[in-house]
Amino acid sequence: MDKRVIFAVAGAGKTKTIIDKLSLEEKSLIVTYTDNNYSNLKQRVIKKFGYIPENTKIYTYFTFLYSFCYKPFLADRVKAKGIFWDMPSVETLKLARDKPSFYMTKHKLLYHNRIAKLFEQMKTNNDINSRLEKYFDNLFIDEIQDFGGHDFNFLKEITKANLNIMFVGDFFQHTFDTSTDGRTNQSLHKNYITYKKEFQKMGLTIDTESLNKSYRCSQTVCEFVNNNLKINIKSQRSDITNIINIENEEEVKMIFRNNSIIKLFFQKANTYDCYCINWGKSKGQDHYQDVCIVLNSTTLKHFKSSTLHELAPSTKNKLYVACTRCRGDLIFIDEKKIKSII
Amino acid sequence: MAIQKIKLHNFKKFETLEINCNEELNVLIGDNEAGKSTILQAIDLVLSGSRNKVESIGLSSLFSKQTIKDFFTDKQYENLPKLFIEIYLTEQNNEFLNGKNNSETRICDGLKLVFEPDDEASKDIKEILSQSDDNFPFEYYTIKFYTFAEQPYSGYKKYVQHLFIDSSQINNEYATREYIKSLYNSLLDGKEKNKHFNEYRRSKDDYVEKVLKDVNDKLESEKFVVQTNSKSNLEADLNISDNDGITIDNKGKGQQCFIKTKFALEVKAGLRELDVILLEEPENHLSHLNMKKLIKMIQTTHNKQIFITTHNSLISSRLDLKTSILLNSNSNQIMRLNNLENDTAKFFMKAPDNNILEYVLSKKVILVEGDAEYILMEALYKNVTKEELVDSDIHIISVGGTSFKRYLDISKILQIKTAVIRDNDGDYEQNITDRYNDYDGVYIKVFADSDNSRSTFEICIYQDNKALCDELFTTPKRTLTIQEYMLKNKADVAFELLDKKANEISVPTYIQKAIEWIKE
Repeated sequence: MDKRVIFAVAGAGKTKTIIDKLSLEEKSLIVTYTDNNYSNLKQRVIKKFGYIPENTKIYTYFTFLYSFCYKPFLADRVKAKGIFWDMPSVETLKLARDKPSFYMTKHKLLYHNRIAKLFEQMKTNNDINSRLEKYFDNLFIDEIQDFGGHDFNFLKEITKANLNIMFVGDFFQHTFDTSTDGRTNQSLHKNYITYKKEFQKMGLTIDTESLNKSYRCSQTVCEFVNNNLKINIKSQRSDITNIINIENEEEVKMIFRNNSIIKLFFQKANTYDCYCINWGKSKGQDHYQDVCIVLNSTTLKHFKSSTLHELAPSTKNKLYVACTRCRGDLIFIDEKKIKSII
Repeated sequence: MAIQKIKLHNFKKFETLEINCNEELNVLIGDNEAGKSTILQAIDLVLSGSRNKVESIGLSSLFSKQTIKDFFTDKQYENLPKLFIEIYLTEQNNEFLNGKNNSETRICDGLKLVFEPDDEASKDIKEILSQSDDNFPFEYYTIKFYTFAEQPYSGYKKYVQHLFIDSSQINNEYATREYIKSLYNSLLDGKEKNKHFNEYRRSKDDYVEKVLKDVNDKLESEKFVVQTNSKSNLEADLNISDNDGITIDNKGKGQQCFIKTKFALEVKAGLRELDVILLEEPENHLSHLNMKKLIKMIQTTHNKQIFITTHNSLISSRLDLKTSILLNSNSNQIMRLNNLENDTAKFFMKAPDNNILEYVLSKKVILVEGDAEYILMEALYKNVTKEELVDSDIHIISVGGTSFKRYLDISKILQIKTAVIRDNDGDYEQNITDRYNDYDGVYIKVFADSDNSRSTFEICIYQDNKALCDELFTTPKRTLTIQEYMLKNKADVAFELLDKKANEISVPTYIQKAIEWIKE
C-alpha cells in the first residue's frame, strides 16, 4: 500500500505522472478539481490507451462527491436534488449541524462546500472508504492544493482507505477558495511548512523532489518567478527566453490583436474582445507559447518596485499560475494601456 | 447475474412481499388469482426499465387497491402511499449498481422501480385531495427506474438481460413481434445492431438500384423506391424460422410456445447471454410430450435464472418441489417448503407430491384420515348441502393417517380454509382439544365426535345408520358383528355404501358441522 503526496512545480508533469501509473490491470480512479483538468485528463487517457478503459474512471471532484459518495449512501435519506454552487449565507453557520437546512437550500440543493461535512454528520465515511476499496486499486487526486474547509477533512478520512493513494498538487497554485466554510481549516494555506505537516499527520509520504523542475517554463521564466514572487521553481530546460515589458502603444495594439498570444487578466477578461482568460482560469492550461500578462494598477505598482511577493497570497498565487503558463516569452502590459486603445 | 431477492410494496395484490430466489430455477405454483403472474410482471417491469411499459399499463392498475382504499380513510398528503419493486442482485462488481438506496438500507447491488408523489406538484395534489370525492392523484406520481446507487437506468442502458415468454399471449401478432424484437435486442449490443440495420438499409438501396432500375428507367420524373422508416426496417421485418423455413407465426400455438422457450434457452456462445428468463404458464397449448421435452430443457439449462409460473402438477412435481414458491389466492404471502418447520418440510418432501400441490392450489379443503372418509365424503356432502361437491371450490384430501398438523402448518401461512375431520380415537380431550389448541382459528377448524365411545368414523356411521348397515352387510355366514365387520373392511364397506345407499346415509353430526363450516 503506497500512500503519498507529490508537491510539484508548475509544468513539471503532474498529469504525466498520473497517466504513467495507469495500466489495464489495475482499477484506478482519478479525481480532479477543475473541469479544464478533467477534459485534459480524459484526452491524455485516450492518448495512452486509444480509448477510456473500463478500469479507469475519471471524475471531477464534485461528481465524485455527489455520484460516487453521496448518491449510493444518502440519496434515499437526504433526498437532495442537486448541488448549489454559490456560497451559503453566513447566517446558516449559526444552524445546528444536524439540521438539514445547514446542508441544503430550501429547494433541496446541497451546498457544494458542505457535502463533505454531510458525510461526517451522517457517518458515511467508512462506507465511502469501503466503496473505494471495493472498486479501485489506486486513487489519484490532482490539484490537491484546492482542497480546503470540510473537503480537507474529508481528504483526511479518505486517506484511511485501504488502497494505493497518490495526491499531486502545487501549494502555490492554490487559487480557489470555494470550499471554505466558517473557521474550518481557515488557516490551512497560510504556510507551506505547516501545510505539508498536515499531510504528514495523515501518514502520507511527502515527495517534494520528483516534480520540482518545470518542463514548461524556461530558466528565464523560472528565475523571474523565483526572484519576484519568491516561489521556488527550477527548469528542466537550458534555453533562454525573453521577459518583455511593453509600453509602446503600437506594440500594445499588435499584441492585443495577436490571436496567437494569450492575454491573461487578473479579472473580467470576458469584458475584453480579444484572445484572453483570467489568471485563475488559466490553471491547468498547457498549450500556450508566449503569454501576455495584463497588470492592473496594484500589481503594476508591485511589478515596478519589484515587490510582487508582497501581494495578497491569493493574488500572488494567481499571478504565479499565469506566469507559469508560458513556454516562450513572458510579456507584461499595463491594463490602462489596453483600455486606452480600445 | 442472478436475482437474489424480490421485494414488492403496494404492488397489485401485495402490500408487502419478499421472495428469496434460487440462482437457477424458480417455480411459482398457485391457483388462479394467486399472484404468480403479478410477480413475473413485477420482475419484467423492473428489468425492462421501460417507462412506456409502465404507462401503458397505467399506475392505477399497478397500485394495490387496498392501499389506495386505506389512504382515503384520512387523505393526508404525507400519507400518500409509495409503490416500489426492488430487485436485489448477486454481486456484480459494478459501482453503478451498488448502494444503500433500498428498503433494507443495506449496501448491495440492485435495481428498483419507484412510484412516488411528485413533491413539486404538492400544491396541486393537496387541491385534488381536498375535493370531496375519492380522487387519487395518480397523474402526479413520478415513475423512477434507479439502481441502488441511485443511478437512473432505462431500456437503452440496462443492467440485466431478460426475456418474458407469455404463452397466454401466443398467436397475438403484436406479442410475437415484441417477442422477436426483445429477443433480438437482448442478444446483440448496440454496435452490432447498428451494423445490421445499416447493412439492411443498404441492401434495400441495392435492390432499388439493380432490380427496380428496369422500371425506373422507363419513368420520367418519379421513380419507385423501397421505403425505410420506423415501420419498415430490420426490426419490423425480422422473424424466426426453423430449418425448413417455416416461420414462427405459421406454427401452431403449442409449437410457438415451445420454440420460443427453446430459442431463449439455447442461445449459443458468442452472443450476449440472457441472464433471466420469465416463463408464464408454459403448459398452455403444450401437448404432454412437448411439455416433457420442455421440462427436460429447463432442467438441463444452467447459467440462466428461470422463473416459471404454473398450475400444472406435472411441471411442478418434476421440477424441484423443495425450492418451489407456493402461492394461494386467499393469502398475500408466499410459502416455500424450506421455510416451513423442518419436520413438516421433510414430511412433504416424502409425501406424494400431488397432495401438497392439490392442497396449495385449493381455496378450501376438507382433510380426512383415510380412504373410507375420502370415498364417502362426496355423498355426505350432497346429503348435507343438497349440492354437488364438484360445483363447490372445496377439495377433499386424504391424509392417510393423522398427520394433519403438517397441512395445518401450511394453512397458517397461506390461509387455506381447512376443515379437519378425524376420529377421536377414544379420547376427545387428548386427541382433539389438547392437540389442536394452537391451530383452531379463522382458517382452521378440527371436527370430531365428542363422544369417546364413538371413537372412529365407521362406528359413527354404523350407529347413525344401524338399519341401513345391517341390511347391507348381514350375510348368513358372517360371525362378526356388523360394526366389527365394518371396522375390518373399511374401504370395501365405503364403496358398498356409496354404491347402494349413497343418498340414504345420515351424516354424523360432527361431519355435518364440518361441511357447513367449510361451505360458509
